[in-house]
Formats: sequence, structure tokens, C-alpha cells
Amino acid sequence: MDWVFLAELALNGALTGLLYSLFAIGLVLIYKASSVPNLAQAALTMLGAYVVLALSRDVGLPLWLAIMLAAVIMFGLGFGIERVALRRLAGRPIIMILMMTLGLDIFLRGTTLAIWGGTSRSIELGVSYEPLFVGDMFISRINLVGAGVAVVLFVAFMLFFRTRTGIKLRAIADDYMASWSVGISVERGVGLSWALASVVALAAGVIWGEIQGVDQALSLLLLKGLTVAVLGGLDSILGAVVAGIILGIIENVGADFLDPLVGGGSRELIVAAVLILTVMIRPHGLFGRHDIERV
Amino acid sequence: MQEKVEAQHILSMNSVEVLYDNVMLAIKGVSIQVPKGAMIALLGSNGAGKSTTLKAISGLLKAERGRVSRGEIQFEATDITEMLAQNRVEMGICHVIEGRRVFEHLTPDENLIAAAPAGMSRSALDAEKDKIYDYFPRLAERRNSHAGYLSGGEQQMLAIGRALVTQPSLLMLDEPSLGLAPFLVEEIFGIIQQINQKEGMSVLLVEQNALAALEIVSEGYLIENGRVVMHGTAEALKANSDIQEFYLGGGEGIDFHDVKHYSRRKRWLS
Repeated sequence: MDWVFLAELALNGALTGLLYSLFAIGLVLIYKASSVPNLAQAALTMLGAYVVLALSRDVGLPLWLAIMLAAVIMFGLGFGIERVALRRLAGRPIIMILMMTLGLDIFLRGTTLAIWGGTSRSIELGVSYEPLFVGDMFISRINLVGAGVAVVLFVAFMLFFRTRTGIKLRAIADDYMASWSVGISVERGVGLSWALASVVALAAGVIWGEIQGVDQALSLLLLKGLTVAVLGGLDSILGAVVAGIILGIIENVGADFLDPLVGGGSRELIVAAVLILTVMIRPHGLFGRHDIERV
Repeated sequence: MQEKVEAQHILSMNSVEVLYDNVMLAIKGVSIQVPKGAMIALLGSNGAGKSTTLKAISGLLKAERGRVSRGEIQFEATDITEMLAQNRVEMGICHVIEGRRVFEHLTPDENLIAAAPAGMSRSALDAEKDKIYDYFPRLAERRNSHAGYLSGGEQQMLAIGRALVTQPSLLMLDEPSLGLAPFLVEEIFGIIQQINQKEGMSVLLVEQNALAALEIVSEGYLIENGRVVMHGTAEALKANSDIQEFYLGGGEGIDFHDVKHYSRRKRWLS
């Protein structure tokens, strides 16, 4: 057993896992404020990356300005989605809203494909591809940057949900009717959560776009992101971060053991197994809220 | 003259009809006046239209696909019939909905914060919270545990406290006594009365428990089948024989103590 190699696998797995967390935080934001699992989150991520590319490559803005501007656009888009697609569904059965997010996912994927085509483009963040050595282990710099972004967002949102606005969003997730009854604007709250989640999607889109290029494959992030969110508990940002790290390590280390045995492709299996086992054994995840039943 | 009448009433509802889903007529011409600073009860049995009346006033009908199809509702001499629920809360109407409905995953403290109006400063909010914990000392003890784990009585207190944070001038309570032990009902009604007297807050109380309600209100309306069928002072209502019989459990009904029960025995053996 090569312990250094194992540690390297685990460390890089954890960093990749934090990139999943970065994506999953967007899912959690919307779930936390409206109890809706947003199936369109990956499509938003992809859209974010494309918008940055369009602004930097096609319009010719410097990358940092393109990202800033794209953040504003995505923020507005989040509000727009609530206004146009979700407002009329407030109070309807959750399955309707779920189907609406699925519809949005398909719509956004179709739109990006129609506008930007299927060829992969890349975002150059200017992060060196030189690996970084920590002792004998080497880790990828871009993963480190992405993990850093995930941690910063994590801290920011943990603080945000303690503010008055954040508490109102959590109240909305708990009970729409009661929120209306004390004058909370449920519509604006849900809109805000979508806006914030869209900005998070942008951050994830830029990092992932740098790592694997910007194309339709970005929307496959949904599977891993959803697994992380479910394992973490869907409404827990801390859960998303911890679950991301766990899934990243299990996936990276597990695949190293299993791939030689099954001839590759075990990563997806591991992710699927984690998702299925979580739902079977611990449906509210590691840190998710339990449904409160008084006895 | 007209203005003077309006000025006396904080709320006036004139022959309001409510339609759900554009087909179901839930209330059929309800007129209610709440004088400033008064405490009014809305009595009636299940499904009579009491809750619908409150929702028409608070604007929560929309969430259940209902709407006011006829009549108008005036609050502080402003027509609010079509206003959004959140704007009505800003104007000073707060509706404590049936079944308590606290934010279960938030602590009592956070429940109160969630209801704070947009412009309320932090110090004003803290003062408001202290005031509410003074009214409901039981809540203060449990201010940092999940509201979902509070007892039914504590949740009702929290629901009322949460409504008070919105600074209402008209507080509407939908069945606050539901499922609570009689001593708790008494405690909560006592506090409502205190709030009404101390803060001059008008209260509209919906109750099936007419006995308890008529003890603390000055006037009552009786609703049956979506219509107001009786209106009078609390004393008049308590003295009314119909109310006594159907809602207070007294009057001319059969007294079961006096009924001589027929006892079965095998007659052919004796």
C-alpha cells in the first residue's frame, strides 16, 4: 500500500469534491428558501459559463469584467425565472414545480445549444497548469482555486442565513401561508434565492468551464451535484460542503481500487451508489432538517 | 356624517361575497364592523365561513385561489379589497392563521425576527421581542429551541407573538383555542385581553369555543352558512336562548342527568 499515493488521491478527491459542493450550494440555496429541488441548476451553470465566454471572447471585455457583468445578468435572470415561471405555481403541489424546473433545464440546454453550438470552448482563467507540490503529493492548482471559492461562498452564505433577510428566506421554506400572513413577500424571497443560486451557478460554471471546457457536458454536473446536496441534506450548506468532500474522496479513492477490477467507469457507479444508499438509509442526509413530529 | 362613522370603525366589511375557484361561494354577503380598540368575536360552527371571512380581510384568500367577488372591505377608511396581503400587513392588519403554523425549523427568536417589518431597526426589534417575551414568559424560556418542538399552547403563543411583531392595529385570531387545554385557553385569552387593553389594539376573534370567547369580547357576530345571522353585545348573545342551546351547551336541551334510563333485564325469568 502506497500511503502517499492514497493521501494524494484523497486530497485531490476532497478538492474535486469541494467543486461539487460549489455547484451543490446553488441547489441548497433554492431548496432552503422554497423547498424546491432545482433540476435546472446545471443548465444555469452551463449558461453562466457561456455568458462569460460571450462577454469576454465575443464582446471582447477583460475576463474579470465579463465575470462581474455575467454575475449581474445571472442575478437578474434568477429573479426573472421566479417572476415568469414560478410565481403562478406558488402554493401548487411540489411535483408541478419540480416539472417546471425540469422544463427550464431542457429549455436552457436547448437555448445554449442553439446559440453557441455543441463544440467545446474553454475559459482561460490564467491559472497555471503546473501542479503544486505538497510534500510528495501533487495537486492541481485550479482545483485549489475552485475549492477556495467554494469555501468562501460557504462562509458567506452561512452568515447570510443568520441575517434578517436570510431568516425570512428560511421562514418561507417552512411555510408559505404563514409567511404571507406576517407580511413576508414570498415571491420576492423565492426570487432572491433563485438570483443568488444563479450567481453561484456562474461561479461553478467558470471554474468547471476552466477544468473541462464549456459544452453541453457541463449539464451532467447535475447528477453529482444532486448527490452531494442529497447526501448533505438538501437544506444544509454545511452539509453540501461536507458531503462534497466525502463524495470526492470516496469517488477518487474508490475508483482507483475498482477501476482495475471492472475495467474503468466505476466513478459514476460510486456516485449512483452513494445517492441510492443515502435515500434508502438516511433520507434527510447528514445535516438536513428532520421533519418535526411531536410526540 | 359618513366620515364620522368610518372614523369610529377600524374595519368595515360590507356585504362581502367570496368565491373559491370561481365556483364555490364560501361567504354570501357578510357585513362586519370592528370599532377602534374593540374586541369582537366571530362565532359559528365548522364550515360556516368564519375563516374565509378573516382571509378576505387579510388577503390570504389569493393563496387558496379564492377572491372577493362582491362587496368591499375598508380598513382605516381605505378600500383594501384588492390589496396584496403584504401591503395589508404593512397597513396594520395581521392574521394569526388557524392551526398555529409557526415556522417549525426556526427558533422562537427567529420566528419573531422573520416577522419584523422591513424598516424596523435592530433596537426596535429587540424591544419588541422583549415585550413579547414579557407577555409570554413561557416562550422566553425556550427561545432557542426549534419552534416545532414547543407544546401546542406555546406554539399558539408564538404565533400570536409573531403577529405582534408586525405592529398590527387590528389583530385577527383564527381559533386560538383549538386543541388546547382549558387552563391554557384561559391563559391565552387573558393575555389577548391584556394586549387589547394595554395597546389599544383592535381584535377580531374567530372561535368555536363561544363560551370562552364571549367572556372577553364586547360584541359578537354569529355566522351560519356564509351569512351573518345574529349580531349583538356579548351580554345579549349570552342571554339569547338559541346561542345558549346551540353554542353554549345550555338552555332548553335535554338534561341527561334527569333522564331515567331504561334498564334491560330478562323479564321472562322474574
